[in-house]
Amino acid sequence: MIQLESFLIISAIVFSLGLFTVIYKKNAVGILMGVELILNSVNLNFVAFSKYVDAHINGQLMAIFIIILAASEAAIALAIILNIYRNRASVDVTQLDEMKH
Amino acid sequence: MEANQILFIAIALLTVLSAAMVAFSNKLIHSAFALLATFTGFAMLYVYLSADFLAVTQIVVYVGGILILILFGVLMTHKIYSTTKKTAHNSLIVSLLGGILSAGLILFIISKAPWAPLLAKGFNPTTAIIGKEILTGYLLPFEIISVLLLGALIGAIYIARAEDK
Amino acid sequence: MSNLNSIQYFIPELFLTAAILVLIIVDLVLKDRKGHIIAYLTAASAIIAGILAYQQFNLPAASLFQGMIVVDSFAIFFKILAAFSTAIIVFISLDSFGDKAEYNILLLIVTLGMFLMPAVNDILMIIIAMEIVGLMSYVLAGFHKKDLKSTEAALKYMIYGAASTGIMAFGFSLIYGLTGHTNLYDIQTALVNGHANPVAMFVAFMMILGGLGYKIAMVPFHFWVPDVYEGAPTPVTAFLSVGPKAAGFALFIRFLVTVIAHPTYGSFGSFTQNVQIQAPLLLAVLAVLTMTLGNFSALNQKNIKRMLGYSAIAHVGYMVMALVVLNNDAFGAVMFYMIVYLFMNFGAFWVVESFASKLGGEEIENYKGLGYRDPFTAVSMAIFMFSLTGLPPFAGFIGKVYLFSAVIKQGWYILALIGVLNSVVSLFYYLSVVKSMFLRQEDENVPIQSSLYHKVLVVIFVVPTLLLGVYWQPIINFTTHSIGIFFGK
Repeated sequence: MIQLESFLIISAIVFSLGLFTVIYKKNAVGILMGVELILNSVNLNFVAFSKYVDAHINGQLMAIFIIILAASEAAIALAIILNIYRNRASVDVTQLDEMKH
Repeated sequence: MEANQILFIAIALLTVLSAAMVAFSNKLIHSAFALLATFTGFAMLYVYLSADFLAVTQIVVYVGGILILILFGVLMTHKIYSTTKKTAHNSLIVSLLGGILSAGLILFIISKAPWAPLLAKGFNPTTAIIGKEILTGYLLPFEIISVLLLGALIGAIYIARAEDK
Repeated sequence: MSNLNSIQYFIPELFLTAAILVLIIVDLVLKDRKGHIIAYLTAASAIIAGILAYQQFNLPAASLFQGMIVVDSFAIFFKILAAFSTAIIVFISLDSFGDKAEYNILLLIVTLGMFLMPAVNDILMIIIAMEIVGLMSYVLAGFHKKDLKSTEAALKYMIYGAASTGIMAFGFSLIYGLTGHTNLYDIQTALVNGHANPVAMFVAFMMILGGLGYKIAMVPFHFWVPDVYEGAPTPVTAFLSVGPKAAGFALFIRFLVTVIAHPTYGSFGSFTQNVQIQAPLLLAVLAVLTMTLGNFSALNQKNIKRMLGYSAIAHVGYMVMALVVLNNDAFGAVMFYMIVYLFMNFGAFWVVESFASKLGGEEIENYKGLGYRDPFTAVSMAIFMFSLTGLPPFAGFIGKVYLFSAVIKQGWYILALIGVLNSVVSLFYYLSVVKSMFLRQEDENVPIQSSLYHKVLVVIFVVPTLLLGVYWQPIINFTTHSIGIFFGK
């Protein structure tokens, strides 16, 4: 039988790695990956507690809703990144010049 | 040691190591593919927690949806920022300190084991319970999140759409 | 209460949802002929939703949808505030976004989120309500798609907002593990009866503060404010500084009085911590840091939106200061201050918004000589600045008196003293705007013609700012009646 602690330790490590990624990376997509790591560790926590501590399965339901939220967050983040890409590509002429060399 | 536990340790290692690769890899595209392994690892861990429905959802939404979005984002940003395809970084020491501090704190809490009384629950299918709960106890969040998705849809389309004027 | 019975208490939110759907269809039907119709409909829907919420004011408090949210006078107060601020923002942004249907629909969706935020009674609803407001605000902040500043503001706000929500969710997962419940009232019962580990509770509280603090812009989670306030479109900045912040404070208070503390009925109006984690001291330190950092950073700002952004951080500091004492006096003071802040802050932002093109920019430098070019607007702006500083006889002074007296009554003298000293510091940068308007002149003072619409809106903001400074009793009666916080599942 696997103990509750094993899951919590995995989640703690992944959470810390996610936090590290958010602070360390400067690229927006890189930070977004860190956020996804954090949200996954949150879900693992909820599901683990749902199995070991809660008489119902509230934790699993929380995890389902958090997955939905993560998806909509990723969609909006990508839309904003796409928009920045379009602005830079059309606005920044000097960069276009540099790429010829 | 049972085969069950060996398998669990293997999955745990896969999850943690691939997450570490996401964090430490210098190339974004490597991070994105490591994320694939992390998401799959989490799905397998959910199976160990008797969350069958959630494991499938994890694969479908995270691997099938969010990861594709992120890959799309990676391929776009490479073009903008640099030709060397390396990510710019903040101070490694500060970030490491933040990560280690949070890991230390949480692991300290886990070592105290302050959780509510533990229960012994068997492995049961959850899909039916989840379906029933979503339409009874969780009706409000279920309906409200549909408004949120509608808003996210409108917002994302507005931001990403090219002006046709 | 069961789902079916709950619907009759859920009418304002149902109306808002219906209005959102109807507006989308109206937009499709009207296509390019719509003009400002959508904007007017949005304002009307917000006001009607506010009135519907007000009608519930005297209903008995209850929990709805099997304990997911509650309806009580505390939540209704913040719902009315949210509806009102949305309606005002629609008029403030009429010139810039009046013809953009998406903008107005997103505003209504944020309003729905702000209706839910003060009423939450479950961890899941906290996260969902905050995400509705958050996600829509990210899009609104980047609504000037072609403007690189606006887009970058949106990106910054979005990325760090998502991270802070994740950290907050981790804190909630720890609380779930400590108690085995997701319902706030169940959590309170479990914490009061059990012996939760203080260290674990403290760490969970810190993580949750990360998410809540980000929403209300509290130090050290304030770093997004200057860039986002400067980059986002001015009406959105005004909105972010009042609407979501008020809802965030409501959620914060409800979280404090259920998960962190519980009411002690022996001595009316005071709260005891569920687990001894020194929450008041922690909040006091954060309040001092927030107001000091906000005020001192505002001192040497050139851009008026950036200056108002830092000053908004300082005002959050004053309000968090009141939360330190965790009693009904403090909650009433925060609610009163929120009303006052709504008028004076919206007023200042409206002047910035409507005069940005006339003055040629949003730098404080641009305002020089305004007192001679358009005395009416300049005097109004000066009133907003004095009121924001907290000088008598303006409304901001009364708001601050209530905040400080709530703190002093419980013996936090040093905290109150630091708050007063901070107000003195804020005098310098608010006065620099006034100085620029009246004491400096351009070579020739070309009078500025402002429209009637501009003047009417300015009057709407100036009158309460003056009136509440001399006659505030009705509003105080209203806020004291609104502190009924419901506990139950």
